[in-house]
This record gives sequence, structure tokens and C-alpha cells, in this order.
Amino acid sequence: MMGLFARPRRIGVGVGISALAVLLAMPAMAQDETYRVYVANEFGADITVIDSATEEVVNSIKISDRPGEVRPRGMAVSPDGRTIYVSVSDFYPQRQTPEDKIMAIDVESNEVTGEFNAGGNPERIAVSPDGTQIWASLEAIASGAGYDVATGKQFAEHRVGIEAEGVAVSPDYKWAYVTAEATHTVSIIDIAANKVVKHLIVGNRPRVVEFSLDGTRAYVSAEIGGTISVIDTEAQAVIQTIDLGLDSRPVELAVAPDGKRIYVAGGGTSAVYVIDTETNQIVETIREQMGRRPWGIAITPDGKRVFTANGLSDSVSVIDTETLKVINNISVGRGAHSVEIGVVPNNE
Amino acid sequence: MAGHFQGAERLGARLRRLGVGLVLGVVAMTAAPAWAQSPPSEVHIGIILPDASDSADPRFAVAQSARQGATMAEEEFVLNAEMFQIDFSVVTAEASGPDVVSAAESLVTDDGVYAVAGAFDTEEGRLLSAWAAEKGVPFVNLLAPDDRLRNELCAATSFHIAPSAAMYLDSLAGWYVRAGLRNWFVVQADNEESADQYARLNRSLTERHFGAREVGHAVVATAAPLDQSVIDDISGSGADLVVLLTPAADQLTALTAMETAGLDLMVTGFPYPEAQTRAFFEQSRQAAPKLGAGMRALAWEPTIDAYGARELNARYTDRWGEPMEAAAWAAYQGVKVLFEAAMFGGSTDSEAVLAYFNAPSSVFDVWKGIGTSFRPWDHQLRQPLYLSQIDAEATDARGLGLLVGELPAIYMPGTDPVERLDQIGDLASQSQCRL
Repeated sequence: MMGLFARPRRIGVGVGISALAVLLAMPAMAQDETYRVYVANEFGADITVIDSATEEVVNSIKISDRPGEVRPRGMAVSPDGRTIYVSVSDFYPQRQTPEDKIMAIDVESNEVTGEFNAGGNPERIAVSPDGTQIWASLEAIASGAGYDVATGKQFAEHRVGIEAEGVAVSPDYKWAYVTAEATHTVSIIDIAANKVVKHLIVGNRPRVVEFSLDGTRAYVSAEIGGTISVIDTEAQAVIQTIDLGLDSRPVELAVAPDGKRIYVAGGGTSAVYVIDTETNQIVETIREQMGRRPWGIAITPDGKRVFTANGLSDSVSVIDTETLKVINNISVGRGAHSVEIGVVPNNE
Repeated sequence: MAGHFQGAERLGARLRRLGVGLVLGVVAMTAAPAWAQSPPSEVHIGIILPDASDSADPRFAVAQSARQGATMAEEEFVLNAEMFQIDFSVVTAEASGPDVVSAAESLVTDDGVYAVAGAFDTEEGRLLSAWAAEKGVPFVNLLAPDDRLRNELCAATSFHIAPSAAMYLDSLAGWYVRAGLRNWFVVQADNEESADQYARLNRSLTERHFGAREVGHAVVATAAPLDQSVIDDISGSGADLVVLLTPAADQLTALTAMETAGLDLMVTGFPYPEAQTRAFFEQSRQAAPKLGAGMRALAWEPTIDAYGARELNARYTDRWGEPMEAAAWAAYQGVKVLFEAAMFGGSTDSEAVLAYFNAPSSVFDVWKGIGTSFRPWDHQLRQPLYLSQIDAEATDARGLGLLVGELPAIYMPGTDPVERLDQIGDLASQSQCRL
């Protein structure tokens, strides 16, 4: 087995920060690195794979032969880049069907290597830094659930707020955070103790939670409130709320590898907000050349490129983080929902 | 009789198995809602539902829908309350007409509710609003659209989730003018509420939606059939749209009369609560298979499929086996805003709750895809409204209507969201409310 840290590479945003820390210590190597960008196409029922260096589509992974019925949304990439995990459901939130599951897919063979039963409309998922666990938000049953990657068994299910949405695992692998849209909460799960230890009130209709590289902060987007809540992860408390404006519609967010910026996808506003984490102020709002309805967002481990999944224009916008301009738009599948970035498998 | 929703079923039971007793995290906010650092220990909310147990009663479907919405709200928000160790309940009473006052009194004194929601028509709204003002109790109007409740009858303790008549009429003008229907014949009932609607509709056409004109107007007696002279007037007016500002039952008889007379035009009616049900949609297409399968304005449409509405509609259908109608949505949101006002305001004291409702930073997510808030000048909840097309062929309740319009359109980047929502309804300069 390839050692996790033998060759540091990027794993999914919000996970695998330890590996990323090593990566940052090796800038020369990082500059030569290319990554795989995965885009979940909600209506096309497939995953588009993009080479980050050439910005070309290199693969398409079919999730189902029934687009419009089977719905891939949240994703995570294994630390070794060989497997993507996709949360799959149908378009009927309450109906329990075989489509409610998490699929593990080998990105080289496109073969499904595992399926985890995740009844209750799984929406988003995260991988633990060591790649042994998947955590999922189960929207219809207001739960955060943990799965053992090796066995495919669910080992944890915890009640969180109504309409569970975002999920992230802390870089130190101690905590899983789960947001809930209807109750404006983030529930903190102690992974080792396997119990919920706290609920926090955040902004109105929270969507996505992401940890900073060093794990000291977690950021939570709130779509209706137009805010980003800043959580001190040691104190387990909201210490600040960044107001993006009532009409900002923040959905997914990505924390830069150096922790100095947050990139926030502005969903219905077709914008990306760039926030300086020292001042917690917006330093740029990127609108020009942006695709329509950027829902998903991810940043490369070298911090040079941001990719957004644009649901209404079936595209991915590429942002240069130095100029904060959109430098490319790539056509993907129908209804691009989320985007994750992983290392190129077997890229020794 | 007061009833108490005991225990969460289905979703609730499933979730409670996983329940944990936890503490509220410290919340520090900057430039965002100043939410309380600790919630109250108890939140009890009263809802007064129509006393309508006879299925032949026009209010039966509304009452049932509202009851179900309130029940689901309690089942869901009790779970949220448990997360923060709040003793929470929704207590219901059934009463109609003048009896709503004694019901409200009992809810407060006997059941310990801190606020009351109700009002299924103008009279109930007037009585409950006056009672709440006298007692200093927060009151949420769920379904009464009458503009007078937001103007000369307004009160500092009253807040309106029910869209106002002005909002509905502006929306109808917006939709139909844009659809090219510019010659309107208006049928008004012989009562004060309908007369106000007629006056307001004229303002909509003349001041806000240029391009349409009134080509005829008739005043008809309540509960009387549409007589031949009115039909002749409509027929000879050149109208392409008839707007019925009459009670829901009278709208049905008017549809039948116009269809029988062979009129070929569009017909819509004022969306009283009884006219916002799937039962009414069914009656409408039965009363007039052609003219009765038109478009109707709604506060909520079960086929909304965005903004999380998909999930809310699905949960409701899963719980009750039928689509979430406007009355259910209103009752659910009535509980929600009162729960959140107490929780985030940190108290069930009237002063704190009213301050929370009035704060410019207080935003409510009512599953309409945009933060809604109460207008400071009349306490009307700003919100989008929906236009539904009645399906002449549908065989199931949900399919009886299909979402075809939304006003104001919420996706308009670059415009102020509050101004955007205030495109419908009365602005501060037009309000007669003095709080």
C-alpha cells in the first residue's frame, strides 16, 4: 500500500489536512503537481473528471443509467486519490429507496468498489484524514452518520438538526461537524466517544462547514442569513459572524491551504466571494465570466486555482487565485452540484 | 377545547431515539443577528384553529390543513428545543368567530402560552389583534388577508404571516399584465372587504402595473348567483380576464354561470384561504371544466421544488399523505417564527419578542428561498407569492395544481432583496398604520 505521506498530495477539501500540511512544506514538488477535479452532476447522474493542469475533461464516470431519477450530490476523495465517494439519492427526499446510498468508485477503472446503505437522503459526505471512515449528513432523518470504509458498515448515527446538510471531519480526526438547514445549527460529534457533545446556533439556513488547515477554525455558510459563522474549534463556540449581505446566498466554501482566504460560492447570485480571514472582510467579489449558480467550490492544494461547479450552466469555472479572475469555463455534465479535488492515483 | 400535540411521531420518534441532552454553545455575532446567548427554558405557543369538523363546511379543508401544519411544526421544533433543553409545546384550541377571544384568553391563562397564532378571516383577525394589543400578547395572523388589519386595525403586538390583500392583488396584476391580459372585468361582492380589494386593485392597475385597464365592473350580492345582466356586461366588455373579488363559494357559482353562458376568457379569483386548497381546485374544475381550470394565486404551492421547499413539501406529504397547502404552511411558519423569536430573542417576554420581530436584522427562512422579514410600518411579512395552474386532468391532489409563477422573482442579483420583496403590497408611504 502506498504510504499516505510518502508523497504528499491533495485530498478532498475539508479532509486530509495533515497530508496537506506536508505538501505545503514541499513547495517545489507542489508546483509540479497536477490533480484530479471531480464534479458531481446532479441531473446527468455522472461524475466529470478534469485534469487540473490541462483543464480538460479526462473521464466521465457513470453513476446510473437513470439520469433525472438518480441524483449524485456530495463527494469526497480518498487520501490516495484512488477512490471517490459519492452520496446518491433520488429526487424524493422522504422516500427510502435503494438509491439512498454512498458509492465508492475506483477512479481508474470506473468500477463501483463498494456501496454503503445510507437511507434518509444522504446529501454531503466527508472522509476522515486516514481514509478509514466516511461521515454523511442524512437530510431526511436529521442525522449525521459514520461508516467504516473497510466493512461498509454504519457505526454511528446521531441526531442533529432538521434538514441535515453539510458535514466535515476535523484535521485531527477528533470531530465531525454536521449542519442543519431548518434549525440553524451545527452539531459537534466526538468521533472517539461516538457521541454528540454540543449544538451551536449559526446563521440562517446553514449549508456547508469546512475546517481551516490547522483545524483551529471551522467556517459555516448560511444561505438565507447571508453569513459565514466562524467557529473556534477548541472553545466549540461561534466567535464571529461574517456578514456577506442578505442577498449573497452562500453555499459551499473552500479554505485556502494557507488559511488566509475563504472562497465562498454565491449560489443564486452567480458570484464567488473572497474573504480575508484575518480581517474577515470580503476582499473581492468575482462575477465576471462566472458560470451560473456556482454551488460547489474547491481549491487546489497549491492554492493557485479555485474550481466552482455551476448548476445552471453545466460548467466549471476556473479562478486564478492571484488575479482573482475567472480564467476558464469548462463544460461538464447536467446540473453540476459539487466539486472535489484529489491527487492523481498512482502518480509516483 | 384545548388540545396538546403529544410526542413526535414518525420522524420525531425516529429522531428521539438518537436524542442527547446538550448545551447551547456561546454565540458571538458581529454585523449579523444579535441572537441571544441563552434561550428561554420554556416556550409554549398557542394556535386557534377553526371549529370546523363538518367536511361540508367550506373551512373544513383549511382547518384540517392548518392543524396538520401546526402538528408537524411541533413535532419538528420540539426536537430543536430538546437540543437546547427548552421545554416546548404547541397548544391548540378550536374556536370560530367571537369565541376566538375566550379561546385565546384560556390559552394564555390556563395553558401558559406566551403567544397566540390564528385568524382565519377578517373578523377573527380583528378580534384577536385587539385582544392581543390589550393584553400585550404577541399575535400572529396566519390566514386573514384583509388590508384593514394592516392599516387602521393594525397593532404593535400583531404580525402577519398571511400575505395581505394588497400583495395578492399586486401579484395578480403583475402576472396577468405580463401574460398579455390587459382588459379586466372586476366582479366585487357587496361588502366592505371586497370594496377595499376593488379599490386596491384599481391602484395596482393604475399606479404599479401600467398596461392593463378595467373594462367593466359589477357589484354582486354575497351568496347570490351571477345574474344574466352581469354576464352580458362581461360578454360585451371585451374583457380577456375576469377577476372575482367574491367569497370562495361565490367564485365557484360565478364560474359555472360564465361557462354555461359560453364566455371564452380567463378567470381568476381573490385567494381567500378556502380558495387556496386542493379541494377548491377540484371544485373549481368541476364547476367549470374550462374556465375553472385557470390560474390561482397562493401563499404556498405544494409543487414548489426549490429552496428546500422540496424537502418541506416531502416531509409533510410523508407525514400526512397529502400535499402541503397554504394553511398548513402558514400554521407551520407561525409556530416557527414564534419559536425562533423566543429562542433567538432569548425570552418569551412580549417586549423581547416584539423587539426581535421588529429588528431589521431578524430574518426568517420560510422555505421561499430568500430571507423574509416583517415590514416595520405594518408588520406584514415580506415574502414571494405563487401562481398555480389548475390541471383539468390531474387525478391526484398534488397534481391538481402546478407552480407557474412566482412574484417577486427572488433571483435578481444586484438589487436590494428587501426592496425586491416590497415590489408587492403597500409601502410605508401608503400605510395608514400608526404603531
